[in-house]
Amino acid sequence: MIAGVSLHDLETDPKGCCARLYESDAVRWLLDDELHPGGERLTLRLARLAGVAPRARVVDVACGSGATALLLERELGCVTVGVDLGARAIEQARRATPAGARASFLLGDAEALPLPDASFDAALSECSLCTFPNMPRAIAEMARVVRPGGSIAIADVTADLDALPAELRSAAARLACVADARSADAYAALLRDAGCEPLAIERHDAELRAMADRVEARLRVARMLAPPGDERERIREAAALAHLAIDAIARGHLGYALLTARV
Amino acid sequence: MADLPVATRSICPHCRAGLDAELIDRDGRVILRRECPEHGPIEALAYGDSGRWRDAQRYDRPGASPLLRQTASELGCPRDCGICPEHAQHTCLGIIEVNTGCNLDCPVCFAESGTGHQPDGYSLSLAQVESMLDAFVAAEGEPEAVQLSGGEPSLHPEILDMLAAAKAREIPLVMLNTNGIRLARDARFAPALAALGIHVYLQFDGFDDATHLAIRGRRLQAIKQAALDRCAAAGVGVSLAAAVERGINEHELGAIVRFGVEHPAVNGVFFQPVTHTGRHPEFDPLDRLTNVEVIRGLCAQLPEWFREDDFVAVPCCSPTCRSATYALYDGEDLVPLPRLVDVDRYLGFVTNRAVPDVEVAAALAGLFSASAAGGTERTGDRLECVACGVGLPDELQRIAARGFMVVAQDFQDEWTLDVAKLRKCCVAEIVPDGRIIPFCAYNAAGYRAQVRADLAAGATA
Repeated sequence: MIAGVSLHDLETDPKGCCARLYESDAVRWLLDDELHPGGERLTLRLARLAGVAPRARVVDVACGSGATALLLERELGCVTVGVDLGARAIEQARRATPAGARASFLLGDAEALPLPDASFDAALSECSLCTFPNMPRAIAEMARVVRPGGSIAIADVTADLDALPAELRSAAARLACVADARSADAYAALLRDAGCEPLAIERHDAELRAMADRVEARLRVARMLAPPGDERERIREAAALAHLAIDAIARGHLGYALLTARV
Repeated sequence: MADLPVATRSICPHCRAGLDAELIDRDGRVILRRECPEHGPIEALAYGDSGRWRDAQRYDRPGASPLLRQTASELGCPRDCGICPEHAQHTCLGIIEVNTGCNLDCPVCFAESGTGHQPDGYSLSLAQVESMLDAFVAAEGEPEAVQLSGGEPSLHPEILDMLAAAKAREIPLVMLNTNGIRLARDARFAPALAALGIHVYLQFDGFDDATHLAIRGRRLQAIKQAALDRCAAAGVGVSLAAAVERGINEHELGAIVRFGVEHPAVNGVFFQPVTHTGRHPEFDPLDRLTNVEVIRGLCAQLPEWFREDDFVAVPCCSPTCRSATYALYDGEDLVPLPRLVDVDRYLGFVTNRAVPDVEVAAALAGLFSASAAGGTERTGDRLECVACGVGLPDELQRIAARGFMVVAQDFQDEWTLDVAKLRKCCVAEIVPDGRIIPFCAYNAAGYRAQVRADLAAGATA
């Protein structure tokens, strides 16, 4: 078990697994509450790159506990709907919503968004696309709920899968958004296949590196605290995996990119 | 923010004439360049990486003023020490050299101490040291740290009284800078230091016989080991201080740190590139070691523990003087603190970002200061505050509080003296007449010889 998620669950219900994992306190601690590379700064960069206008209607797909939705409202005055498969995340997001805020949060599946067609100016998905088993379906859903001329904004891990060591392509690595990551061009092709027009690709590998560093360091100190035995060994393995990821980032085999497309 | 080239002032290493000088970027390294009318062009390596030099400039925090300044600005820096009104920082660490006599005759000694008779040698009285401590307290209010040095201060018959006098003035960190010979030979010395709460700054240059012979002129490894074991038994905290020289012990940086983290008495390692002042080996001023080379060497020798960006430019002095890190160690693995805490963000050097927690920021400022040493109560409290502030679990806070400190400290000599850097110096020699003279000016600008001559004249008068 890693933070309440077993490998069996991962194989049978990967989406649910991911949602539960990112809800867990242990994982939030590992990530130092910055649940995607670059934190708020890169979220705002993504919104700007996608031309998200003040007061735009935005859907945040796999919104987690709502930080991005609330940020977009606070900084840009957006009216955001967050959708996530994790019931606890949705609860947390609702609790975190200040009185008078217009952001709202729905329990739902990225591959079947519980939202009407053409009802948003933009759809945003941060560090989550590559965790969806059916990526084309998830992109088609974003394209469906965005009005024609609106935009899709994706931030995700990019990978040259063939160059990655086997450990990073394992089931466990899927949780860290690695095992199913694609190259930036492959993401752009998915957007094109969904009938969207790719606009921009921006690389931010250094931000992923900073995050992987943080996770590796925190796993190593977590290992110091774990009682000797299986738990300590699992943490040690996880730290080794993080170390492999750092290596892969340094070699350019793993990265992080912002992509935008017009619907 | 400063960028290269930078105009500054320096001196001629041959005649000590004050000269206009310039820091320039040459092939990615920072060179201090000037021309002496008599001795021609003079160049020395100031910092080993111009990119890192630029990056470090954002740590150049404005200095604080001492309560008192002892001299007037008349002749221009560095001729008015000190501290004169032009000095841009108070003193984090005061040094008192209680004697010039030593039980070693090291080939490397900026203080030119030794075992033989020295015509200008001296040994201060307890009353003199007390008045110097009082001068330091008057200047600083509540001084953070003082170090008694020499010579070999442990040879001074009143050294314990002098250390006690510093403790009596409620200076939190009182250090004894020693070669460890008395600690090794005198079984009562470490317990006496423990009773006073003294931190030992132990000269410790490496393990190879060749290293000891080149830097100390004697094989000292067994003595160092015995000194450390006595400190461990008595409960005395120790920082290892390694003089590092090109081609002599650069290869032992990793081994020194590994030894230090494993020895129960040791709380930190200070690497000091050899200053080419006083007694020193032949050297090439353009191929000397700076903090960059020391940190790079350490990281290359201990890649599983350190990388270059684990080291933070210490903001109280000029940011190229001192770089430091703290590390959590549990007997198996070592994790540098800056990987767990965004130190930049807390210290407020990243523009347009709010400092997230002022208490954590204050604790970090105290940790990354020239007045800090590993293993002291104050350092432990600050590390615990940081660990708590960034949400480390309780047990980890206790590991963090034992944080191991690693420092690279590049003091200046006649070749590298940069007046702009010197003006922000926060390590200073307290001298018997009550002046407080920035350490690098003391060594490089002629004050050491002057003070010794004055004391010798006073002693014979």
